[in-house]
Amino acid sequence: MAKYAMAVDLDRCQGCRACMEACKIENNTVQSVFWMYVFRLESGEYPDTKMSFLPRPCQHCDNAPCVKVCPVGARYKRQDGLVLTDFERCIGCRYCELACPYGVNYFNWTKPERRQYLDFDDPGIAAVTGGVLPPYQNPDLAVKHGEEQRLTAGGGHFKGVMEKCTFCVHRVEKGLQPACVATCPVGALVFGDVEDESGEVARMLRDRAHFRLLEEAGTRPSVMYFGGAPPTGDSKEIETVKARV
Amino acid sequence: MACEQEEARGRRNGALGVVPPPIGRWALKLTRRRFIQGSAAAGAAIAGSGFLFGGLDSIVRSPAAKSQLPFVEDFIPTMCWVGKQDCGMMARRIDGRVVKFEGLAGNPRNAGTLCPKGQAQIGAIYDPNRVKTPLIRTNPKGTTGRWREVSWNEALALTAEKVNEVRARSPKMVLWQKGRSKAEKFYDDAFVNAIGSSKLGHGAYCSDAGYRALEYTIGLHGVQHPDMRSTNYLLAWGWNITNAGGNKFCWITWPQQLVAARERGMKVVHIDPRLRSAGPFADTWLPIKPGTDLALALALCQQLIEMGYLDRPYLTTYTNAPHLVGDDGLILRLPGEGDEMVEAVWDPASAGPVRAGSIESPALEGTFEHAGGSCRTAFEVFKAHVVGYTPEWAADITGIAAGDIRTIARDFGDHAMIGSTMVVDGIEIPYRPVSIMSYHMAQQELGFQALRAMTIVTMLVGAVGAVGGVMSDFTWKIHKNYEPFGDLRVDDPPYDFTLKNSKFFPINTGFPGMVAKVMADPGRYGVEEIPEVAILHMVNPMASFPDRKQIMEGYDKFKFVAVISPWLSETADYYADVVLPSATIEKYEGPINASDGYIDATALRIPPMEPLFESRGEIDIYLDLTEAIGTLFGEGGYLDEINKGLTLEGEFALPLYVKPTVREIFDRWARSQGLEGVSYFEEHGVQVKGPIAADKRYGYAVDPPFGGALHRLYGESLLVAQRTMRDKGAEEIYWQDYTALPTWRQLTFDRSPPEYDLTLISYKQIEHKQSRTSFVPLLAELSPGSRVDINPSTAAARAIGHGDPVWVESQNAITGETRRIESVAAITSSIRPDTVGMPHHFGLWTHPVNRGQGASPNEIFYTGEGYMGQTADQSFHVKVRVYPARGEG
Repeated sequence: MAKYAMAVDLDRCQGCRACMEACKIENNTVQSVFWMYVFRLESGEYPDTKMSFLPRPCQHCDNAPCVKVCPVGARYKRQDGLVLTDFERCIGCRYCELACPYGVNYFNWTKPERRQYLDFDDPGIAAVTGGVLPPYQNPDLAVKHGEEQRLTAGGGHFKGVMEKCTFCVHRVEKGLQPACVATCPVGALVFGDVEDESGEVARMLRDRAHFRLLEEAGTRPSVMYFGGAPPTGDSKEIETVKARV
Repeated sequence: MACEQEEARGRRNGALGVVPPPIGRWALKLTRRRFIQGSAAAGAAIAGSGFLFGGLDSIVRSPAAKSQLPFVEDFIPTMCWVGKQDCGMMARRIDGRVVKFEGLAGNPRNAGTLCPKGQAQIGAIYDPNRVKTPLIRTNPKGTTGRWREVSWNEALALTAEKVNEVRARSPKMVLWQKGRSKAEKFYDDAFVNAIGSSKLGHGAYCSDAGYRALEYTIGLHGVQHPDMRSTNYLLAWGWNITNAGGNKFCWITWPQQLVAARERGMKVVHIDPRLRSAGPFADTWLPIKPGTDLALALALCQQLIEMGYLDRPYLTTYTNAPHLVGDDGLILRLPGEGDEMVEAVWDPASAGPVRAGSIESPALEGTFEHAGGSCRTAFEVFKAHVVGYTPEWAADITGIAAGDIRTIARDFGDHAMIGSTMVVDGIEIPYRPVSIMSYHMAQQELGFQALRAMTIVTMLVGAVGAVGGVMSDFTWKIHKNYEPFGDLRVDDPPYDFTLKNSKFFPINTGFPGMVAKVMADPGRYGVEEIPEVAILHMVNPMASFPDRKQIMEGYDKFKFVAVISPWLSETADYYADVVLPSATIEKYEGPINASDGYIDATALRIPPMEPLFESRGEIDIYLDLTEAIGTLFGEGGYLDEINKGLTLEGEFALPLYVKPTVREIFDRWARSQGLEGVSYFEEHGVQVKGPIAADKRYGYAVDPPFGGALHRLYGESLLVAQRTMRDKGAEEIYWQDYTALPTWRQLTFDRSPPEYDLTLISYKQIEHKQSRTSFVPLLAELSPGSRVDINPSTAAARAIGHGDPVWVESQNAITGETRRIESVAAITSSIRPDTVGMPHHFGLWTHPVNRGQGASPNEIFYTGEGYMGQTADQSFHVKVRVYPARGEG
C-alpha cells in the first residue's frame, strides 16, 4: 500500500494562495475556513527585510495527537498515511482541535449551507443548479471512501462536527492529485507515495534537506518542507485573510 | 500536434516534479464525456451527532448527502475569463452543472494549473448579483442609478437609436471604450469599423508609456521582458514578480518560467520601493525612491560606458549611434537617390561623412569638422550627455547607494558576456544573458524616457534581441508606430478629443483621463467636437482609473452611455442609460493567443454552460446591436468586417446577408485554419502549433536583422517635435521631456509642500485583477480590503499602529488641490520609510461584497499636468501625508 506524503518546495512557492482557493472549491468549505493556509511572512528590519511564504495543510502526522484524543474513533489514521475524520461518528467534542499543535481543525458551528458566500438560492441560479448549495457542490464528497467505507471526504456536511484537510481523499482514491497540488502554478506542492523510490517525493527526500513543522512536538508530520527555513519568533505574518486560522 | 502537447507536458512534469501515475491529472484525459458510477451514498438518513447542537435542521442531512447517484460527469475545455492571459481551463460538470475549473494541461500558458482568480471565478459565475436582464435608467445620471428591467429588443432599439442619431452627424463622436478585450477582431476592429466609431483603451493606466518607448527605440510593441529560458541576470524593475506578470502575460506563465530560471541560477535584482512583489525571489533589493527610475538607468548607462561594457559591433551596425549629430542637435543628412536625404555617418577612411549603410565600419565615437561646423556621432553625444549622471549623482535622487549602483552596473556588464554567441535552431546568435523586466512600471511622470533609458542600458551591451537578452513580444515584429515616430506630427488645431497629433502629445497613447479633461473643457485644448455617445465594453473607468473626479467631469458630458457588463459597474451605476448584461465565461470568444513566448498556440473560449440569467456573450450582443443599428449586413457591415478581421475568405467567408450564430462563425474560422471545425476546440480547448523558431524570436536572427528597424539611441524626432511644440505655443510642461536623449529633471510631485512628506504608490495583488474581482466573495475573503503599507518607523513617528484607521491625504503640486481617503494601516518593513503603498482593487460600491472594503488610491491620484507623462499616460505617484483617523467624524 502507498504511504502518502506531501513535499512543499519553499524555493518555488510564490505565496499566491491558489491552493487555498482550489481546496475551498473542491471541498466546498464555508466562509473563513481554510484547510490549506498559506502564511506570508516577513522578518528583519528595513532595508534588510526578508520575506517568505509557507503553505500549511493538515500535516497528516504519523503520530497524530488528534487521533489519540478522539473519544469515539472518528479521527483516525489510515494505512496509506491519511488522517481523516468520520463525520458520521464525530460528536463535535473538539478535543482534536485542542490537541493539534498546527491549528488545522475547523469546527462547524452552524449549518454549512447557511455559511456560503452569496445567496445562491436565487431562482435564476437554482434553475440551472437544481438548487444545490453551493452551486459548485462536489458530489464526490457525499461518497464513502476507503476499504473501511467511511464518510470522510469534504466535511462541510453537518453542523456540529469537526473538519480539516483530507489530502482530498476522494481525489486520491480516483488516482488524482489533491486539489491544492493540481492547481499550484509553480509546482511548489508535490504529493505522492513516499515509499515509491522512483517517485518525486522520495527523490526530493534523497536529494535535498528538509524540515518539518514543530518537529520537537514528536508528531512526525507527513508534510515536509524543502528550501527556505522554519519560521522563527522573528517572523511576522503579513496580509492575513478573513480566516479562522 | 498531439506530440507537441505531449512534449510540453513532459517538460512540465519533469521540471515541476509532478508525481507520475497512478496519481495523474484527470485533465490529461480529454475525454469529452464520461459516466462515473458513484459508489453508494445511500447511508443513514440521520447525521450522527448533530443533535448535540440544535434543532431539527441539525439532524437532517444537508443537500450534500442527497445527491442521486449515478451522476453524469463531463469536462468542457474553456478559458479563464478573469485574467489577462486567458489560461486554459477544464470545466468539470456534474449533470451539466459546472462544479470546478482546473487548469488545462495542454495550454502552454498555464500548463494545467490555475491561480486563485482562476479558481475563484466559479463564485463569480453563479453570483446572484449579476445584471440579470437589460436595464434602462429611470433617474437622472451622476448618482446611484434606478432601473427598469426591459427586454433585449427594447434595450437594443434604444441604444441603436441613440448611436444612429450621432452617427448620422459624426460617427467619430460615438466612442467605444474598452478595458479588456478578449476578441479584438470582433470588438476593437469589426464592431468599431462597422459603426465607424472612435475607440479608447486602458493602456494609459497599464504600461503604455513603455510600449511607446520601445516602439520608438527598437520598433517593438511591448515592454522589456527577459528571454527567461536563457537570462542569467535580471533587473526586475517594478511590482511584477509574484503579483503580476510579465509583459503580455497575466501571471502563471511568468512565475513558471521564473522558478525554472531561478533553478538554473538566474540572479534577480529587484528595483522597487517595496520588497513585497519579489519577496524571497530577490537576491538584491534596491528600494528605489518612486519615480526616479530614469536617474538610476542613466547612472547605469554612465557606468557601463565608463567600465567599457559596450557591444560596439551592435551599436555601430544596428543603432543610430554612429550617425552624425550637428551642433543644432539635428542629424546630418546627405543627398541620396532622387530627392531623398540620407542620414550620415563618419567614414574614417575618407575622413568625411558618407551615407549611413554605405560603409561597414563608420566611426562610433568622435567629434569631426565638416562644412565649416562640427558634428559628433550620436554615441559621442550620448557619452557627453551621461557623463555627469554618476552613481553619486543618482544616489541623491534615487536613494540607492552609489556603491550599489556601481556593483549592479559591473555585474550587469560582466553577465552580458559581450562578444559571445550561441547556436539556436542552427543559427549563431549573440548571447547576452542579461535583461530587464519593466512591465507595469512605465506609468510615471518620466515613464517614456525612463523606459528609453532602460532600453539603452541593454543596448549598450547588445542585449536587445540576443539570446538571454531583452524580448518584448513573442515574435520580432516591427510595429506600425515605429516609422511615423521618426517624424512626429504636430498639427494645428482643431485637434480631435484624444489630442492625437497635437502640440500637447505628439506621441499619444489614447488616455481616457485626458479625454475626460478635454470633454470637461474642450476649448482649452483646441478641440471643437466631443463624443456624445459611449459604449463601454468590459471597462469601469470610475473605479479603475484615476482620477475619479476628473473622469466624472468628463462622463457628465455624455448624452448617452451604454454599458456592456456582467455586473452593474460603478460607471454604469452613475452614468449608464442602458446596461446590456454580458455573460462571463458562458460564451464562445476568441481566437486568443495561448503562447508562452516559446510555443505558439491559439485557443478559444468554449461555453461550459448556457449564459446565466438573460445574459449574452458580447459577440452575440454586437451581432444584435449592429443589426439594430443597420450595419450588420452588406459590405462594410459587421459580418464583412469579421470576415476581414479573421481573414475568412472563399468558402470560409460569412455570407454578408445571413445572420450567423457565434458558433458558426468560429466553425468557419477553425476550418479556415485547417482544422475540422470548432469541434476541435470544443474537444481540445487549444491548438498548439509548435515552438517559435529562433529566426522569429530573436531580433538578431530575423531577416533582415531586427526587422530592418534601426534602433534609435538618439531620438532626433523628439527634439524636432519639441521645437515645433514650442513654436506652436505649447507650455513647457508638455514639451520639456521631448528631448533627443533621456534627460533627468525634478519631478512635479516632489514640489508639493514639505508636510506632504510621503510618496503614495499603488500596486496589484495576485488575488485580484483590476476592479473586476474585489466583489468575488472568495477573493474578497483572501484579500479583504484597502490598506496602506507603511514602514514601522514612519508609523511610529505618527503614532499609527497596525490596523489603525488612517487618512491618506494627497496634494497636487500644480493646482494646490488636496484630497483624502480613509484606509487601514498595514505596518511592513518591506517598504521605504518615505513611501506608502496601496492596492488599487477596492473602492467599489455597487456589489454587496464591496461594502466595507475601503477606498481606492485612484480617488486621490490626479490626472493632468504634472501627473501624466509626455505620451499621454497616467502617473501613479503623488505626495501624501498620512495621519490617524481615530476620533474623527
